[in-house]
Amino acid sequence: MAKTAGKKSVTRTGKASAKAPRRARQSAAKAAPPASQRVDFFKLVPKPRFVGKPVKRKEDVRLITGAGHYVDDLRLADMLHVEILRSPHAHARIVSMEVEEARKASGVVGVFAYKEISSLCGDVPLAHPGIPDLKVPHHPVLADGEVNFVGEPAAAVVAESRYAARDAVDLIRVEYEPLPAVVDPEKALAPDAPKVHKELADNLSFSWEVKGGDLDEAFKKADRIIQQRVRSQRLIPCALETRGVIAQYLTGEEQLTVWTSTQIPHILRTQLSGMLKLPESKVRVVAPEVGGGFGSKLNVYAEEGLLSALARLVAPRPVKWIETRRENMAATTHGRDQIGELSIAACADGTVLGVKHDCIADIGAYHQLFTAIIPTLTGLMLAGSYRFPAARTTLKGVFTNKMPTDAYRGAGRPEATFIIERIMDLVAAEFNLDPVEVRRKNFARKFPFSTPTGLAYDTGDYEKALNQALKLADYQGRRARQAKARDEGRLVGIGLSTYVEICSMGPSKGMAAGGWESATVRVSPTGSVEVLTGTCAHGQGQETVFAQITADVLGIEMDQVKVQRGDTGNVPWGVGTFGSRATAVGGTAVFEAARRVLEKMKKVAAAALGASAAQAARVQIKNGKFWAGKKSLSFAEVAFQAHRGLVIPEGETPGLEATYFFEPGNFTFPFGAHICQVEVDRDTGEVSIQGYWAVDDCGKPMNPLLIDGQVHGGIAQGLGQALYEEAVYDESGQLLTGTLMDYAVPKATHMPWLHCERTETPTDVNPLGVKGVGEAGTIGSTPAIVNAVIDALRPLGIKHLDMPLRPEKVWRAIKKAAAAP
Amino acid sequence: MKNFAYINAASEKAAIESMSDKALALAGGTNLLNLLKEYVLAPEALVNIKGIAGLNAIESFEGGLKIGANVTLSELLDHAEVRGRYPALHQALYDIGTPQIRNMSTLGGNLCARPHCWYYRYEYFDCKKRGGQGCAAIAGDNEFHAIFATDGPCVMIHPSSAGPALVVYGAKVKIAGPGGSRDAGIEEFFTLPAAAVARENVLKPNELVTHVLLPPPNGKSATYEVRHKESHDWPLAMASVALTMAGETAQEARICLGAVAPVPWRAAAAEAALKGKVVNETTAGEAAQKAAEGAKPLSGNKYKVQLVRTAVKRAILAAATGRRV
Repeated sequence: MAKTAGKKSVTRTGKASAKAPRRARQSAAKAAPPASQRVDFFKLVPKPRFVGKPVKRKEDVRLITGAGHYVDDLRLADMLHVEILRSPHAHARIVSMEVEEARKASGVVGVFAYKEISSLCGDVPLAHPGIPDLKVPHHPVLADGEVNFVGEPAAAVVAESRYAARDAVDLIRVEYEPLPAVVDPEKALAPDAPKVHKELADNLSFSWEVKGGDLDEAFKKADRIIQQRVRSQRLIPCALETRGVIAQYLTGEEQLTVWTSTQIPHILRTQLSGMLKLPESKVRVVAPEVGGGFGSKLNVYAEEGLLSALARLVAPRPVKWIETRRENMAATTHGRDQIGELSIAACADGTVLGVKHDCIADIGAYHQLFTAIIPTLTGLMLAGSYRFPAARTTLKGVFTNKMPTDAYRGAGRPEATFIIERIMDLVAAEFNLDPVEVRRKNFARKFPFSTPTGLAYDTGDYEKALNQALKLADYQGRRARQAKARDEGRLVGIGLSTYVEICSMGPSKGMAAGGWESATVRVSPTGSVEVLTGTCAHGQGQETVFAQITADVLGIEMDQVKVQRGDTGNVPWGVGTFGSRATAVGGTAVFEAARRVLEKMKKVAAAALGASAAQAARVQIKNGKFWAGKKSLSFAEVAFQAHRGLVIPEGETPGLEATYFFEPGNFTFPFGAHICQVEVDRDTGEVSIQGYWAVDDCGKPMNPLLIDGQVHGGIAQGLGQALYEEAVYDESGQLLTGTLMDYAVPKATHMPWLHCERTETPTDVNPLGVKGVGEAGTIGSTPAIVNAVIDALRPLGIKHLDMPLRPEKVWRAIKKAAAAP
Repeated sequence: MKNFAYINAASEKAAIESMSDKALALAGGTNLLNLLKEYVLAPEALVNIKGIAGLNAIESFEGGLKIGANVTLSELLDHAEVRGRYPALHQALYDIGTPQIRNMSTLGGNLCARPHCWYYRYEYFDCKKRGGQGCAAIAGDNEFHAIFATDGPCVMIHPSSAGPALVVYGAKVKIAGPGGSRDAGIEEFFTLPAAAVARENVLKPNELVTHVLLPPPNGKSATYEVRHKESHDWPLAMASVALTMAGETAQEARICLGAVAPVPWRAAAAEAALKGKVVNETTAGEAAQKAAEGAKPLSGNKYKVQLVRTAVKRAILAAATGRRV
């Protein structure tokens, strides 16, 4: 499917690495551990056996053979099943609800609505976004007299089987009084618009602004002001595994256990504790295998609170709910949905002086966990990889009668990257310049680089990635062939995107909650190694990466390492997996914990071998053994001695375990250059991708196979946004794209051959030098593809089209352009 | 989905005796099971017809082919005669779904598939086909709906991709019912919503398509499809064309459109325009213009008129040259 260049494509950047400590000192306020105390991974393990190597994923055997266990694979004794009655209206008052018939149906244990649940479970929570005057409506787990979007839970049936529960849902009689719905965020801001929440003054949930630099000066000095409206359409994340929850409350033990398909078991535990008014000590959250999330499981959902409350009502019987695909499309968070009005101050040589961006974010009917925060990331990342001195984003978060938006792969950065990369092409088109040259002209070149929006980019070399991508794609030759194709009347286009993104979330001061991550490395008396991580991989391959890191630090085989995640009863602390943070933040915690275990093992070995003080200071690991002088102990022997308790090194205690919380000093900022060639069918508007080339830089690569996997999957999702996907609500607020027959996710055959390479610019933010790559493909690809299509249409005078670039839209634009004088 | 009884029919007769408006025939299931899961259909029983002997063979028949209704699309695609002599059918089948879907889907199922109109498949909308009073598509988001025969009670497009090809080959459908077996011309098999809005063909609830009879092909043929996505997607519009050629002149032309009307839509004006003409870009383009005549697009699908023209022109040229355009 995709091709990745081998070793030769990887460019070493020894220079940048050597300079890193000095830079770290310069930004000392931002760096967590003082550089002098820090031990970098590659200094401790100069020749790693696993890190950096294309090691196959440990998790794949069980996942590929169907031997992994997702929520729906768990079947507990005496389990009951829950089905949810959902609103068929975008906005309506519940006049009455008649549940007796459902209650009497065969197999039904109970039917529950707001009044039965509200005393047990509070509102769906949100992370405090630090936005003043944020309006937060009442958001119960079951509708409280009013429904505000199609798919909102209104009642729940608990029954002996899923079939009985589902059939009983049809027996609940609800009388709704339909209320006017508003689905267009711009119309929602009109003074006479229907209000989504009657208790609020209007539909404006919040206003927010970020700005920096002298905009007046920029717009005064500009040769031209370019105006453009751009839209990042609403997307549906479509994780392969829909959501699902099992909850059980053991009355005697006073213990609630919730198995759920989540990216954030620890955050969920804290939030459920608040919703249910149970101390966290009595709440255990387990994320079994999670079949993809893409941000849509980075949340606290009504159903998670609801099932927990139901579990208490039917205790000690467990209750299970598995989301259908249609529920997933309608009632799991959506992504994107921003409209931006852009003003660009540009000079005739292609220099951009400043950008104004007035953004309306359609946040749907409620706040989910990060609903308000996501669009602010768009404002923060507006500068992209460029050094224009002035920027401003004003943001309005607007309620509509739709499913709330929240994180979706990239989460604010794809929107920002789409804007800034479209801007580069708009400027190029305006002054008839090569888009490559416009980018070169504007690249940030000195790092750390401060953006006008207040971020400090850690490290970067944008031109190097661009140059490598141009070479990989044979850009010059391709442009020449494009000119020839244009002469023949063909619509061939080449587009690029030189993105930068924000990863390894993050320093706690830049986050709504803690941005650290924890790890415990624990060695048993027989020498088996457990790594407990607070991250919660759901497809990324952290089980592999963390085993690579641990095995390299401890000098053992990867098979000896078992990575545990996802169970708050097992892993005491954690934040979770999102924002391309797991390796950079969680991996660093693993490294630091493993390093501490190693130090202790050296001391134990020295003590057990009766080493002199001089020998003890120079314990070496060779061939899997700890050597002090000429005597040695195996890894397992040292582990045993640490637990046997007969030789305890001075200042130490028995046992062999270390826990480390890593707090990153800054975000990291990976970057890259993507190039795409397309041809547009003039008669139908169909777009076919003829080639795709990507050079990504995610810092130090931990495992090239995992990076490729992330880049390929990311490009697929970015391609989906560019060409296919759109969540369509009709005027009444019904979701028309409610199944995978109607919502067009790309499939394997829609993917072009991907030519992927890398550059390597380590970060100084963490001792691994790693930046993160989970979202890069999604962020980089969408604008590259759209820019290619617009480039194809440029001879017709077309400068911009909104996504998705479906054939109809493209053909209409062609037709309109042909009709223009 | 609702619980249902599962009946294994060992013979045509047993199937027919079991079938009713509450007991539906199940073959590949790629269409029916989705509709059950979506609660669009909630039959009391499914009658499995896959085990019926004689419905899964492709046989030579009067110079053409007799194809059992249970033959899968993959089996048809792999069949040398289908590939070699019936390229319009082969291309139409090749573009359906994915290999997994084609391995399960049957030819009979393709002809009897229910519409994929998103209003039909969504319980919250009014739909005459589901027994409702109105049609949400007529005033709603209808870019994927019909542009021909749009004055009827339902503006669905027929989902069969094989249908147009079978029309241009003049196929017949063998139908078994309580009174025995009968043959229907393929064009008579499909019915417009005006005839009976709840169904898409002449089958009664206790009748079964058993075979498709393909006469020997009489010239060159091709199918061209326009899709949103390059594969794994429903066509936005398609055209199947069969030409009887004398040198470069089309003595006879049969042209049928798919995905633009509630039935496979015969383009008679386009056929007449091409008849007796030397087939080239110009004449193909003129015929394509005629193919779109009579289209009455809805509020959101005027684009399909253009797609009809493009598909017809490209299918004609593909048929005449033997190349995919």
